[in-house]
Amino acid sequence: MQAVILAAGEGRRVRPLTWSRPKAMIPVANQPIIAYTIDALVTNGIRDIIVVVGYRKEHVTRFLNQIDLPIEVVIQEKQLGTAHALQQTACQIKGDFLLLPGDNYIDAQSVAKIKDIKNAVLVKEHPNPSNFGVVTVRDGRVDSIVEKPDNATSFLVSTGIYSLPADFFQYIRGNDVTEAISCMVESGIDVHAVIADDWQDAIYPWDLIRLNQRLLRHLPTGREGIASRHATFQGPVHIGKGTTIGPNTVISGPVIIGNDCTIGPNSCILPNTSIGSRVTVEPLSLLGNSIVMDDTSIASHSRILDSIVGERCVLGDHISTATAGGFLEIEGKPIHSHFGAILGDHVNCGSFTRIRNGMVGNNVTFEGNRDVISRIIPDNTLVI
Amino acid sequence: MCGIVGYIGRRQAAPLILDGLKKLEYRGYDSFGIATLGCDLEIEKHKGRISEYSGALQLQGNIGIGHTRWATHGIPNDINAHPHVDCTNRIAVVHNGIVENFAELKKALTARGHTFRSQTDTEVVVHLVEEQYGKGTDLLSAVRKILPALKGSYALLIIAVGSDCIIAARNGSPLVLGIGDNEYFAASDMTPVLDYTDRAVFLEDGDIACMTKNGIEIYQDTCRVNRPVELIDWSPEEGRKGGFAHYMLKEIYEQPQAFFNTLRTVDKHTLPSFVCKFPSVTLVACGSSYHTGLIFKYLLEESCGVPVFVDVASEFRYFHPPLEGLVIGITQSGETADTLTALKLAQKHNCQTLAITNVLGSSASRVADATLFMRAGPEISVAATKSFIAQLAVLMQIIDARCDGRFENVLHRAHQAIEEVLLIDLSPAVELCRNAQSIFYIGRGPFYPVALEGALKMKEISYIHAEGYAAGELKHGPFALLSPDTPVIAMCMPGETYAVMVSNIKEIKARGAPVIAFGNEDDVELSDVVDLFISLPQAHSFVDVLTSIVALQILAYRTAVALGRDIDKPRNLAKSVTVE
Repeated sequence: MQAVILAAGEGRRVRPLTWSRPKAMIPVANQPIIAYTIDALVTNGIRDIIVVVGYRKEHVTRFLNQIDLPIEVVIQEKQLGTAHALQQTACQIKGDFLLLPGDNYIDAQSVAKIKDIKNAVLVKEHPNPSNFGVVTVRDGRVDSIVEKPDNATSFLVSTGIYSLPADFFQYIRGNDVTEAISCMVESGIDVHAVIADDWQDAIYPWDLIRLNQRLLRHLPTGREGIASRHATFQGPVHIGKGTTIGPNTVISGPVIIGNDCTIGPNSCILPNTSIGSRVTVEPLSLLGNSIVMDDTSIASHSRILDSIVGERCVLGDHISTATAGGFLEIEGKPIHSHFGAILGDHVNCGSFTRIRNGMVGNNVTFEGNRDVISRIIPDNTLVI
Repeated sequence: MCGIVGYIGRRQAAPLILDGLKKLEYRGYDSFGIATLGCDLEIEKHKGRISEYSGALQLQGNIGIGHTRWATHGIPNDINAHPHVDCTNRIAVVHNGIVENFAELKKALTARGHTFRSQTDTEVVVHLVEEQYGKGTDLLSAVRKILPALKGSYALLIIAVGSDCIIAARNGSPLVLGIGDNEYFAASDMTPVLDYTDRAVFLEDGDIACMTKNGIEIYQDTCRVNRPVELIDWSPEEGRKGGFAHYMLKEIYEQPQAFFNTLRTVDKHTLPSFVCKFPSVTLVACGSSYHTGLIFKYLLEESCGVPVFVDVASEFRYFHPPLEGLVIGITQSGETADTLTALKLAQKHNCQTLAITNVLGSSASRVADATLFMRAGPEISVAATKSFIAQLAVLMQIIDARCDGRFENVLHRAHQAIEEVLLIDLSPAVELCRNAQSIFYIGRGPFYPVALEGALKMKEISYIHAEGYAAGELKHGPFALLSPDTPVIAMCMPGETYAVMVSNIKEIKARGAPVIAFGNEDDVELSDVVDLFISLPQAHSFVDVLTSIVALQILAYRTAVALGRDIDKPRNLAKSVTVE
């Protein structure tokens, strides 16, 4: 069986994290989201995988090249919608196939449920259905499907995972797959609705913190680096090759740390934290419930909680993030959020910067001793 | 410069060899051919690129040899394509290298009644073997007898009706034997073999190997010798294009990783001690590697005052400076003929030699006293990209060792800056360049070789005439060529030459040529002066060199794509030049 993964879209609502990579390539628990989708397929014995790439396509391709699977890459030059992306693969599709989004988490069991049913959509209940394709179901079959409605009529949403027939392309009208599905339903073809076991989507950047928690739940313990005898570990902690953990550092799992990092001495890492490769955490700093991406350095006396820190950031000493709720304007709408800080790539924070519920763009520099409270700071800003 | 592949084992040889030759296409691509040993000797040869060949091969048999050619003697056509056969159609040979005394051998052979079908130097080999083989002599002894008669370089694979073996011989041209499970491979480099095995034996000069289905026996003259079996850590994926449109793009995107990996493996503890002590150093290299040498000269002389001489290898071997101190040869493939000769020459003058190369077991690593390997992985595209960055990683690490680790922090963050450059949008610059007649690249200090390299990349893949100049030199002649159709690309990084670069740019602007300037992201002045300002991340000058090269590589690549050029195999060029 073939599977098509869509990884061409930028994921605008996840900006600033999608400046240098598409949403599917954001690392969660030290793996890009798309890697979990591929894992779920491979677990089900599906190895004939086609990935549609577009936005920052070279970065996706570079990652796919590292996987030991002959993945076929198809390019969507302009990001016009999911159906348009799927249409790019029309010549490669030889039979019934699975369609999956590359920027959602799906577990292998859900894929197993849907893969043998012809014409099916994987659905799941969601508290905010109007961000998705909303599905109404009758007798286990799809009655209607509407993409991002203003008033949702049910809490069931489409996960974007479909089992489709080879002749599906003839139903494509607009630019979205949901439109094509409703076209199929209207022409009298039964489309089954299958309830997913575990499916997670991150709509806004702070949702990634929750996704990270979820994905760290099954983290196996592993020690490939060097840890001081005087460091304390609790719970599942995975330490990559070449990483050194200094004395008196306390790490309580689940925590994953990549390769070539230097942590501590005297630092503390709380549960649900993912630290990328080549990261430095200086003494007396506290990290918890956060994602820290590659090549970032965090100086001493810092406190990073409920936060996401992008690649190549340089955080000075005494930086603190405080978890708070507030409204942020995303794509013109005020959205309620609750987190500490979200930093894009290459952010330079001077000493004593304090961030509460603040979203900081890429390549931003803080001169130090500044407060950011419930604000979005755009890319390439200098904050004095 | 050609690629050869041989196979003996349980599979059908022809498709396997065809596949292997495709991977060696970078070594030559004007014609190809395969011979197999079924019930009889079967041969197919074609003119043209192997990757464009779509027909099915009708060759049977589990033993075979193949060749992809880059013409040296005789035009590319079906007849001159290898393998070549003897008068009786019993023996076939493929050859990489040059038989220098082929004219006299050919005269003697014709006098003895042999008919020559091609104009190649290779055909003498097969007729010589024909004279020996059969009269109670097996193929191995026959080849052994004729090899002393050949002058020049060769990697040979020979098969003959009546012997279930392939004879491989090497002198001066690369040859690797791959060891599978009851199957054996021979190839010019590891890439065709990687799909089947990761165990390899690198033959030495003068080795003759007899490959049978049961094993490999290697001889130096008549003495049986043992060569170590080495494990190759390249994965087959690294040799493939993946989803990238071209190998060159793939290799550009692998540069942050290539730089970081090289930096980590070549640290000051692994550097040979004499590398850190030399009073003066001479670098010999060709092409892009020569430019890395020039960059090294600027950076080392400025940071620790050690005199550096840089020479083009092909000049060096005939007109070399008085030699003393350390001689470093830089070659991606480790097989560049001129660089190898230069290293041998340096050894004759009692100099210590160091090779910097990307290929484990290559000739350069055997010639030199010590070798530093860049960990760039296989580079397929003819235009050097990641090997260039990896060479710089090695050379910068040498500078760092000479300066007591002064640059360690800078170098360890350098890959991040390269990663940032990959995101820069160069489409306005491509629009300016694609319709240009000529493009001039200018820079000062270490950015002068950067300009040279940028121009080289542009001309080799986009076929647009491009020249690199030291910025001050433009006034001494090339100014006459400036016009609105000749964009000038200026490397204008902060430093003591910044002010004079800006005034150079203003002079160029006054002559009506459009200027594209690469500068620092904090720059406020340039964007008002030039037509197009492209900002690179702010960093140490070492890192500026790296980022600006990557930006110029991408510019050349995008321009070539816009013009629809054949990027991975530019016309008239070959990946590594193993002829002088």
